[in-house]
Amino acid sequence: MISSTGLFQGRHGKTVDTPELLQFALAGLKNGSIYALVALGFTIVYASTGVLNFAQGEFVMLGGMLSVWAYSTLGLPLPLAGLLGVLLTGLVGVIFELLAIRPRKDGDPLALIIITVGGSMLLSSLARHLFGPTEKALPRFSEGSVNIFGASLERQSLWIFGIAAVAVVLLTFMYSYTRLGKAMRACAIDRNAARLVGIEPRMMVTLSFGLAAILGGLAGLATTPLTQTAFNVGPSFGVKGFAAAILGGLGNPFAAVLGGLTLGLLESMSVAFISSTYKDAISLIILLLVLFVRPQGLFGGSSRQKV
Amino acid sequence: MSGRSLNISRFLTVRAAIVAVLLLVVAVLPLFVTGTDARYVLKVLTFVGINVLIVTGLALLFGYAGQVSLGHAAFYGLGAYASAYVTATLGMPWFVGLAAAIAVTALGGLALAVPSLRLRGHYLAMATLGFGEIMRIVFVEASSITGGPDGFSGIPLPSLGSFVFATPQSIYWLVWGVAALAIMISYNIVSGRPGRSMRALHGSELGAMASGVDLVGLKVRVFVISAVFAGVAGSLYAATVGFVSPSTFTFHFSVVLVAMAVLGGTRSLAGPAAAAILLTLVSFPDIVLPGLSRDILAVVQDWEVDIYALVIILVVLFLPEGIAGAGRRVLGLLRRGVVEPSGSDSGTGQRGDEA
Amino acid sequence: MSLLEVREVTRRFGGLTAVDNVSFNVPEGEICAVIGPNGAGKSTLFNCLTGFDSPDAGTVTFAGRELVGMRPDRVVRAGVARTFQNTQLFEEMSARENVMVGCHAKTRAGFVSTALRLPWTVKEERLAAEDADRLLRLVGLEEWRDAPAADMPHGLRRLLEIARALATQPHLMLLDEPAAGLNNSETEALAHALYRIRDHGATLVVVEHDMGLVMEVSDQIVVLDRGCKIAEGPPRLIQKDPEVIRAYLGEEDPEDV
Repeated sequence: MISSTGLFQGRHGKTVDTPELLQFALAGLKNGSIYALVALGFTIVYASTGVLNFAQGEFVMLGGMLSVWAYSTLGLPLPLAGLLGVLLTGLVGVIFELLAIRPRKDGDPLALIIITVGGSMLLSSLARHLFGPTEKALPRFSEGSVNIFGASLERQSLWIFGIAAVAVVLLTFMYSYTRLGKAMRACAIDRNAARLVGIEPRMMVTLSFGLAAILGGLAGLATTPLTQTAFNVGPSFGVKGFAAAILGGLGNPFAAVLGGLTLGLLESMSVAFISSTYKDAISLIILLLVLFVRPQGLFGGSSRQKV
Repeated sequence: MSGRSLNISRFLTVRAAIVAVLLLVVAVLPLFVTGTDARYVLKVLTFVGINVLIVTGLALLFGYAGQVSLGHAAFYGLGAYASAYVTATLGMPWFVGLAAAIAVTALGGLALAVPSLRLRGHYLAMATLGFGEIMRIVFVEASSITGGPDGFSGIPLPSLGSFVFATPQSIYWLVWGVAALAIMISYNIVSGRPGRSMRALHGSELGAMASGVDLVGLKVRVFVISAVFAGVAGSLYAATVGFVSPSTFTFHFSVVLVAMAVLGGTRSLAGPAAAAILLTLVSFPDIVLPGLSRDILAVVQDWEVDIYALVIILVVLFLPEGIAGAGRRVLGLLRRGVVEPSGSDSGTGQRGDEA
Repeated sequence: MSLLEVREVTRRFGGLTAVDNVSFNVPEGEICAVIGPNGAGKSTLFNCLTGFDSPDAGTVTFAGRELVGMRPDRVVRAGVARTFQNTQLFEEMSARENVMVGCHAKTRAGFVSTALRLPWTVKEERLAAEDADRLLRLVGLEEWRDAPAADMPHGLRRLLEIARALATQPHLMLLDEPAAGLNNSETEALAHALYRIRDHGATLVVVEHDMGLVMEVSDQIVVLDRGCKIAEGPPRLIQKDPEVIRAYLGEEDPEDV
């Protein structure tokens, strides 16, 4: 299912000159922005529950699919359809938490891993029932492309950069300045202490799933006009988003963004210089290398294992 | 004391009798499969046996040692391709193909287990998932060996010496024979010293280390055994179906295997085997209910993935002990008449009395 | 000669020095207590002695062998067993099976031999079960033999962990707060168990908060405060040591009162 979603078209085999290099770099950053949004979703849920949500990639799929549905089937104008798609995805995230995560009160990580894996499968399958097995497309937010130092960049990519940047800024603002954000941070640091000052940790977990789903939904909405979407693209985004999160260092939002951009760049550079045959394997190999060699991530602090 | 021993041995006799009856049923089942679709039914039942074999390995890894693998389909695939390559491309006998499957999956298991030693829980799950996906890409891209996305066809039937397993019955017996052997081996392992250390690892890593259990060696060994079981299953699959393609060895199938292990329950071999039978038959409801209309069949097959996914979620939420747990409860009730309650059903606690 | 020699062991966590240049010896056949206020570094020291943590500096020599850098299970095989402050039992397994896991260091049935059910593995298994039963009797848990550890009361769980440690046939046992959470009669039973263990030939190092127990059983006491050793000697001298009194009175720990 990884190879079923080409995230960008590689042009390997040619000598790489400067504009072309820039072209690859921009493509890498574009994909990296998507990975960063998914990685942020992993980070938010991980911070509040201590588990990885293996269904995170499905939110990307849903963001795209639901937006397409709102646009094509409901006939809403594109901005409204996108908004609805993302918000519905957030709602799915909340419902998923309430129905599948919350009933398991002991929070056993092994159990939650398996639940989210099951959830991932269920969400993609339900999407197939609802929207069919075919690939879906969305019109670009703006047509055409711009020229940057000889490299051409589709305007849609600018939208992707913009959406990712706005999401990161809003998220930072929310975490730093709003009561809700502070409450979520407090829960992530110490659940019991948070409970003592009147924060309901369960509520924060639910919200973190909603927020993670919205971020995934945004990624799906932003990328669908370029790459199309289908019911089975979720796991691919999930793995790449997780690779980005772990590359940066799980648990730190800025590291997640850096990890996403780095992964995107590494991927597109490997296509530029090595080969596109194993393009999809690159992020997986990076994932394994980071897990095996430096599980705390490139930008995470050193962490010694605690007994 | 002697009365107690007597009761336990009576209980064990009951258990042995159940196992014997089950073995007999599995063994003679093909003789009762007749009619026009006998070939199809036997094929499905053979496929059930293959899944039982893989899930038994997963039961050791997940159910006993508490280590997650979301990449077991890759080992299944490795075994299938290794066996296919050796028998079809190199023209060697199936037995050599099987040996190659064992060797390759053992190496694969080692290659994944050794660097994963430090990883726990979700990190291990992700690493195995990543490994599985990389292997799947390799199956697709290394087309000179694997046949690429179109698959690998013309794989000869399994054979031993001059005997070729050509009839559906003989293939069924071969697969189920291997599965039964694997379960027996696993049973011996889990009721002895290695099994105890696996459960200890599951219970408390610190406690296990402080008891002198070599966790490194243990984890690697369990991983390798589990991978080899899947590899043997792959070899059987390749030879009996005659065709393999990457679409069989997906993340999706790895999750289905996990669903079987989870539904089966931890610290059990019978539970996961039963779950493998049940969940495999979900895809072929017409085997269980022969009169089923085509339409219903189509609906069930359309919703098969949802069924697997729901099974996973609901079992973890509401039946965390799985089939094995339910079985233990029933056995516990039966047992109360025969022998006083005792720790676990795997029989280790009673070994001394049994001997 | 001392069975255990701890030389200048230091362990830092970031800016905090949890164990600071600590040295002491434990002679064979004695019961040595390590005491100190909460956060004195006792558990960290224990982890450094048993391979669960490695000190930034210093050496730990047991019967002439260096333990620093050895994996925990190797330390156990070398003859040093431990228990934990938070008991680390195998909850789903019976008391007997818990102790049988402790026999691992001294048994050798592997995957292949067990899978083939070779006769010697069956015999080894039977001997391990007998061993476990003997040890359960030694700590007074024979009635709990077939009960899952999860079902056992708190005080008995500590005894079970001791029995499991004994199953490794250690020459040196390190017990991390064995009396924590025990009532008076259970503590009494524990003291007797400790004597019995010592009389069976094991040397003991005990981290403990219960001063009554410490003063009663130990031959020698090492006092830690904020990672440093501030006193060392037999109980009657430690009781009068002004440094020790200051360390304890200076920090009245509500959790321990």
